[in-house]
Amino acid sequence: MLEHKKNTYFGTQGKSPWYRWDGTKFDCYIVGVAGGSGSGKTSVSERIIANLNVPWVVVLSMDSYYKVLTSEQKIEALNNNYNFDHPNAFDFDLLLENLKDLKEGKRVEVPIYDFVTHSRQPQTNTLYGANVVIFEGIFALYDRRITDLMDLKIFVDTDSDIRLVRRLKRDIDQRGRDINGVIQQYLNFVKPAFDQHIQPTVKNADVIIPRGLENLVAIDLITKHIQRQLNERRYSFRWELLKKIDYNEELPKTVIVLEQTPQLKGIHTIMRDRDTQRDDFIFYSERLASLVIERGLSEVTVKDHQVTTPLDLPYMGKRCNEKICGVSILRAGGIMENGLRRVVKDAFIGKILIQTDPTTGEPLLHFAKLPNNIHDCYVLLMDAQIATGAAALMAIRILLDHNVPEDRIIFLTLLATRLGLHVISNAFPKVKVCTSMIDPKINEETLFIEPGVGNFGGKNIDCIYLSPTIEHETLNSRIITILHIQIDTTEHNHLYLNDTNRIINNLICFSFNFYIHLIIIICANFLSN
Amino acid sequence: MSANNSTNNHTYTPPSNVVCLPLTNQLEALLTIIRDKDTNRGDFIFYSDRIIRLLVEEGLNHLPVVEKKVITPTGCEFTGVSFKGKICGVSIMRAGEAMEQGLRECCRSVRIGKILIQRDEETAQPKLYYAKLPPGIENRYVLLLDPMLATGGSAIKAIEVLLSYGVKEDKILFLNLIAAPEGIQAVTSKFSQLKIITSFIDQGLNEKKFIIPGLGDFGDRYFTWP
Repeated sequence: MLEHKKNTYFGTQGKSPWYRWDGTKFDCYIVGVAGGSGSGKTSVSERIIANLNVPWVVVLSMDSYYKVLTSEQKIEALNNNYNFDHPNAFDFDLLLENLKDLKEGKRVEVPIYDFVTHSRQPQTNTLYGANVVIFEGIFALYDRRITDLMDLKIFVDTDSDIRLVRRLKRDIDQRGRDINGVIQQYLNFVKPAFDQHIQPTVKNADVIIPRGLENLVAIDLITKHIQRQLNERRYSFRWELLKKIDYNEELPKTVIVLEQTPQLKGIHTIMRDRDTQRDDFIFYSERLASLVIERGLSEVTVKDHQVTTPLDLPYMGKRCNEKICGVSILRAGGIMENGLRRVVKDAFIGKILIQTDPTTGEPLLHFAKLPNNIHDCYVLLMDAQIATGAAALMAIRILLDHNVPEDRIIFLTLLATRLGLHVISNAFPKVKVCTSMIDPKINEETLFIEPGVGNFGGKNIDCIYLSPTIEHETLNSRIITILHIQIDTTEHNHLYLNDTNRIINNLICFSFNFYIHLIIIICANFLSN
Repeated sequence: MSANNSTNNHTYTPPSNVVCLPLTNQLEALLTIIRDKDTNRGDFIFYSDRIIRLLVEEGLNHLPVVEKKVITPTGCEFTGVSFKGKICGVSIMRAGEAMEQGLRECCRSVRIGKILIQRDEETAQPKLYYAKLPPGIENRYVLLLDPMLATGGSAIKAIEVLLSYGVKEDKILFLNLIAAPEGIQAVTSKFSQLKIITSFIDQGLNEKKFIIPGLGDFGDRYFTWP
């Protein structure tokens, strides 16, 4: 098992809320898959994922957690004398730490092990937002501290001769090794390790799958079990918010509303008018965004700072030492980025794509890309409007998962409802919200703000997004959004989820639908003849 | 509206037709940057532009509006306001031109006139060298742009020019970044109906008639500072 298997990400659709309306979280569901080398752990994990068909599943491989070797050990490894199949070869402490964080839904930096130099690469894989983590490795069920974190423990039990055959085939075909070396390694390390350390962990398992991947019945049963447990956690989020929060109470103290000046009212009047042209709408929404951002920024703490003026006189002023990071909730929040860059020219920018599921009205997380140092920054979270507050809650939850302190988040928005403001302060009482105006009502059927501005994203962004009435168009616009983000953030090296995979998946869905239509047409023709 | 910021090291209560921007943490930090003699020109331009934008937004708030009802895309009625009266900008060269961009950012197609006033070496009095003002200025609100109000000499001259073109005194809004009490006194005692909108009122003037602590020569720092 000397080749690095990349940890895989499966995010073909948005992630539904992983927290309750009061801001507390559900734990992530962790499945452990153990078994001897060549037993089919990876194939079983992949089959479970395919059957599960839920978004945001992560396969975490134990290969990432090999220990960094000393120079003597490296020489041993070169001569096939280092035992990679012993528990001591793994860094269980780091593994435990990472699994704990994943369980709590936090961002995790997974090491990348380099099998050539037997050390960790300086960069890491960033994992965030998994609903289900499948952790697979020969010692997945070895350490009690780790098995305690698991919701389901699986042992894949395959005959030793089959495992040997697979190992021979893989090492010779794919890794170009000679048969004697492989057999020597098998006899010296792999087999003793299995008998002494791996086989005994079978008693820690909840389920044993004989025959590995061939055992479709067992895999099917397991998948159904996981699905049932996941379903128990799901509940209707947005509608829950409408029922649970009394929004006629006094506004929370953390809410900052801009002074209602004549200009502000004038700008709002232009923006709300349904007859306003798109370029006017964009111009005035950017002007409004500037005002909101300036107001929000004045909440950032400053320190006394003395300077000398060109007349050589001292002046006691203030200085802001905070690093500022803007995070926009796409699409509509993107319109505020320009405004932020205009006032904080070196602001870090992060992006979160949250869309509403058209069938349930639930917010779904599709994408999150945030700067690595975000926990050191003062974060300005930006969205054009807060209606139910569901998307805002999700975005704040994401920031907290990335270790941003709650009192260092300011939410900037152009328009908010009383409901949304109460929802946010109810779940996250320390987050400040700065809005240019508050609208009284939210339509309980359409969830639109009334009187409102209409759909910001639709008006503001390219007309390709304008009418997502047909399913195909929705898909299309999603693909384009993803492409946009990819272009935007190419300078960031790490990946959260495999964007390209998503695009391809969407394309496949798209063409699949197309073919189905064709087949129906052909069948119809055939029948009528 | 009266001044609502506490000025550095002294107390001065300006007349009621002077409006001071609310002194937020950010504004104070911005002023600190542009006052620092070690700030380079790029930063000086960037941060003074930010203050200018705030000044312009505040200035526009003093223009009249009328109530207007519109229908929103959700089909509801919204009672707002619409802007009434036309505006134009007039900058006092050279420093005032630095504020034109900020005005354009808020009012895309605004007409801008220019006035050049320099000190006459013989009489030590400000003298009008050049004035090019948009036609129809007599019917418009005028935003007069000059970043520094020191003695008020050139400002008074510029206002006189505007009045001679038929602009109503109460339709003039004078925008500046930093004002000295002496300048405010000089302008308001002569013209009681115009409005002055400033971001900060400084201590006063030194013997060379420079604002202290001030920020040096605004035009130099914005256009030619090394």
